[in-house]
Amino acid sequence: MIKLNNRDCEWHEGLTVEELLRLKNYTYPRIVVSVNAVIVPEEAYASTVIEDGDKVEAIHLMAGG
Amino acid sequence: MEKLEHKFLKEYNYELGAVDKGYTNRTLYINVGTHEIKEKPVTSLMKDKFIGGKGFGLYYLWQAVTESTKWDDPENEIIISSGPIGGITQYPGSGKSLVVTLSPLTNMPIDSNAGGYFGPFLKFAGFDALELQGKAEKDVLIFIDGTKGTITIEEMPGGGVDTHILGEQLTEKYADNEEDKRNIAVISTGTAAEHTNIGLLNFTFYDVRRKGIRLKQAGRGGIGTVFRDKHIKALVIKCAGVKGDLNHPVDKLTLNKTGIKLHKEMHDLDNSQNQMRKIGTANIISIMDQYDLLPTHNYKFGAHKDTFKISPEVFISKVTQNSPDGCWHGCSMACAKAADHFELKTGPYKGQKVTIDGPEYENAAGLGSNCGIFDPDVILELNFYCDTYGIDTISYATLTAFVMECYENGILNKERTGGLELNFGNIEANFELIHQMAKGEGFGKIAGLGIRKMKEIFAKEYGADPQFLFDIGMEQKGLEFSEYLPKESLAQQGGYGLTNKGPQHDEAWLIFMDMVNNQIPTFEDKAEALHYYPMFRTWFGLNGLCKLPWNDIAPADNKLTDEPAKIPEHVQNYVDIFNAVTGKTIDKFELIRQSERVYNFQRIFNIRMGFGKRIHDKLPYRAMGPVTVEEYQSREERYDQQLKELLGYDTTGKTTEEKIKVLREYREDQYEKLTDAVYKRRGWTMDGVPTVEKLRELGMDLPELLEVVEKHR
Amino acid sequence: MKLLAKDESLCIGCGECEAVCSKTYFKEISPEKSCIRVGDQKIQVCTQCGECIDVCSVAAISRDKNGVVRINKKLCVGCFMCVGFCPELAMKMHGDLLEPFKCIACGQCAKICPTHAIHISEEA
Repeated sequence: MIKLNNRDCEWHEGLTVEELLRLKNYTYPRIVVSVNAVIVPEEAYASTVIEDGDKVEAIHLMAGG
Repeated sequence: MEKLEHKFLKEYNYELGAVDKGYTNRTLYINVGTHEIKEKPVTSLMKDKFIGGKGFGLYYLWQAVTESTKWDDPENEIIISSGPIGGITQYPGSGKSLVVTLSPLTNMPIDSNAGGYFGPFLKFAGFDALELQGKAEKDVLIFIDGTKGTITIEEMPGGGVDTHILGEQLTEKYADNEEDKRNIAVISTGTAAEHTNIGLLNFTFYDVRRKGIRLKQAGRGGIGTVFRDKHIKALVIKCAGVKGDLNHPVDKLTLNKTGIKLHKEMHDLDNSQNQMRKIGTANIISIMDQYDLLPTHNYKFGAHKDTFKISPEVFISKVTQNSPDGCWHGCSMACAKAADHFELKTGPYKGQKVTIDGPEYENAAGLGSNCGIFDPDVILELNFYCDTYGIDTISYATLTAFVMECYENGILNKERTGGLELNFGNIEANFELIHQMAKGEGFGKIAGLGIRKMKEIFAKEYGADPQFLFDIGMEQKGLEFSEYLPKESLAQQGGYGLTNKGPQHDEAWLIFMDMVNNQIPTFEDKAEALHYYPMFRTWFGLNGLCKLPWNDIAPADNKLTDEPAKIPEHVQNYVDIFNAVTGKTIDKFELIRQSERVYNFQRIFNIRMGFGKRIHDKLPYRAMGPVTVEEYQSREERYDQQLKELLGYDTTGKTTEEKIKVLREYREDQYEKLTDAVYKRRGWTMDGVPTVEKLRELGMDLPELLEVVEKHR
Repeated sequence: MKLLAKDESLCIGCGECEAVCSKTYFKEISPEKSCIRVGDQKIQVCTQCGECIDVCSVAAISRDKNGVVRINKKLCVGCFMCVGFCPELAMKMHGDLLEPFKCIACGQCAKICPTHAIHISEEA
């Protein structure tokens, strides 16, 4: 189990940022992802592995409409 | 082209004057009934406490009306004003006109903004605001010639009023030649504004590349209906020689530099961010669908399997690309897209090839998915007719979705609609409905009254259950909702419900911040957001600015800032350009206080008119949760899980009706708690009335305001 | 197409080009008012690519018969979108001026350049 945006979220061995965004259907282009408060650049989404118990934030930058 | 007959009723000459630090320090009053024309000085109280734009509009409207004035009384006014920053050419989104009147939908003040050139031209012609009062006997046109200093009221009976024709004719008539057409701006509406309560105003600008007029709309709240009720056919203004210093700013270099910085961001980043330059606000159609937020079938659902047919990519292929589509000079965001050479397939203009301004997101979502329509050409044509007939696409779309749900529930039937089979997705019936509105005939005339009036009629005449109508009729304060599904975001329910003019998202859009990002988990957090964002966004309307360049583009390092959602660098840009124009020295905190003064004034204005209290901030349950079994079951897993996790409610063996009831009680209670927190944060009583202390703190303890709040304490 | 061609490896950054440019167009010696900017073996000047033409909302920028991109000051409203959108950062703004300014390949700077780092090219 991990925390995603401070809510419980399923986790499995080898889960990457890229996969997590896909599983959550987070398709919006302006998302800032951090794992344990360290920002992950977009080009590292596929290679960044999330560990059990990590705190992940995926902040959608939209206050628009 | 038909010849336009004009008879002069009044001519008025004035000194042209000059703008000083964003203000002309003068406004224009015209009574279309008595033909009185006069100039009024702008006082320092007006500038200090109301700033400009909708602040000036509300200030004048307050003086023009009493608590018993109705929208169609002659003393109701339409006030148009830009604002001190309005008209600068350097910073994107600086050409807005703010329009204020008593709304036929809400019976209280509405404000709506539009692009196009009228607002800046009005200022450069010599006036910070234009008040229109009275009612003309026959149709009139008002022409303000800002090159000569003359104003004329001209009688103009006969001829069409639909904007795509009238706007073009008037631009042609008042321009000396092709080159001069860019110096003409027209405000008009269309035939449906005469027969409905959802009339809008079209603001033109001349597009030198397309060699034709373009239309931007002050859409919300039925202002076009008031315009036609006053028998005003059009306002025309002429202004030549636009440059970047016409506001006589104290610091032009800062304007230049700040503008160029944003232009560069647009150039470097827009394509990887929101693609505003390619498709404007319609860029989010698919995103909204993927996050279950795209209103579908009268806000029952948030997604649909056919959304791909109206995706941004589809519209990109239909609107002209690589065109600098700003609705005022210097807007590098260029979101005013248009589909050119579009051949109309229905209605009186069938076969004409036209330029369609749009589609904006609201059109695609409202006219499209919310009514079950997934044909992009149909959406474009409905968009066109809404504009040229002079009706608000948002209200039209939302009320049509309501009518369709009523039809599918048997509240309406073919007999009651005069033969229109208004099921979701029925394109033919939808076109017939809009053409009926323009003719003032049939069921279109009833629908055009708006959802609030329809609810009364359907309950009274057809015996429909008033509670069900209240639950599914997506209006509040009389105004139809704009096109986002707020069910899963309590903060956005507040963003729609706890507003001054009704459920639009002009004040706050907090769905991602709340529902997805979980950044504002507590009531206090949400209340803080529902204080900050409405105040911040109100400020655009005081200054003649567009909100989009604030957050539809963000600097590359925005994500590293302490509050990315606020876009801190852009907030500072606004502080800088305000100071650079006016010579004042505000900071980002004073910016919020400027808005608070006008926001509280507007709230008290609503209270004065008999609205604006807690009871008026209640929402239809469709905005908060599933009304019907069909809705609940479509997202059953989600709702069941919430009942278990949030309430410890065991859903096993429970019927859907039982679960709906429990969920509803919970969500309605949450909204009440949110309301408490927001009122507290805004400095209001628990009945939603601004406190005397709050008014003192803001320096808004004006006698006329104190009188109202004392009465409602 | 006529344009000011450059060989940055020859530039010594003496600034003579900037001085003559600002003197020619603005009657003063000020690098800030020069259409060409040099320094650190970089020469920043318009390539006449014409991207600014499509950016201008009032169609004040066009290409003349020699292929040179020119600004019609009478039509220009001073929005400076062209400055922000110039891929070469060669469209310029100065606080004294209402309109942007740019190189029109007049060749005054090429005449004075001591190292022949710049010259007028008229290739098709």
